[in-house]
Amino acid sequence: MAVISPLSSGFGLWGPLFWVLAFAIAFIIAFAIWSLGTASYKKGTEQGRPYLSGNPEPEKGAVHIRAGNLYWGYTEGLKGYYDRIVPLHTGIMTDYLLWIFWVTGILLILVVVI
Amino acid sequence: MSLTPSFNRSLWVFHLNSGSCNGCEIEIVATITPRYDPERFGMKLVGSPKHADVLLVTGPVTKKMAARVKRVYEQVPDPKVVMCIGTCGQSGGVFYDSYSLAGPIDQVLPVDVYVPGCPPRPEAIIFGVVKALEKLERLEAAP
Repeated sequence: MAVISPLSSGFGLWGPLFWVLAFAIAFIIAFAIWSLGTASYKKGTEQGRPYLSGNPEPEKGAVHIRAGNLYWGYTEGLKGYYDRIVPLHTGIMTDYLLWIFWVTGILLILVVVI
Repeated sequence: MSLTPSFNRSLWVFHLNSGSCNGCEIEIVATITPRYDPERFGMKLVGSPKHADVLLVTGPVTKKMAARVKRVYEQVPDPKVVMCIGTCGQSGGVFYDSYSLAGPIDQVLPVDVYVPGCPPRPEAIIFGVVKALEKLERLEAAP
């Protein structure tokens, strides 16, 4: 019971039960006001769609913000670097194998010979 | 949404410019100034057609705006009243033979109240709102 008993601090009284009661009363008042209203919009028509200054609602995919937008400033700041690096990522497996081959060869020369 | 009968006269108005020269907009802004103060009756301009009882359309409807005007009209919940403010919306005004007009507003939407003038005075707009109120009361009284 100590958990739900009121806590008297130097700044006043705090009790979880008071909060629950306050939320319950607020909910009842809000529900009473809401239930007085009458839904006057028609579902499945333009009344249910968002108001976009009269423009048609675009497809959900058309307004999707891709993850790349989050670090746009980063890639923009390092544009010189990315312009060179991105074309190297061709997506072709043999290109990547050639990279491994050349890098391994150079490392072997560095480690074994020098 | 209608709450109680005491809110029935508190019309919320959404203003839509369908190609107006801004003359009517200036008079609409003058209408909501403290000199006339329709907000003391609960009448005010709202930012979304979904909150409105009255659609206030100004200007002749340009071809680019015709589809948008129709869409905004459809987004206003029922019962609703359309008010045409200014001469342009009634006849095209000085733009009547323009290549870019889809026509006066009543060729695009069913208009309930016309407020003539280029631009109409705030008193005329308020008179139009009163007429809109009467129309809404008739609509709400109908089964």
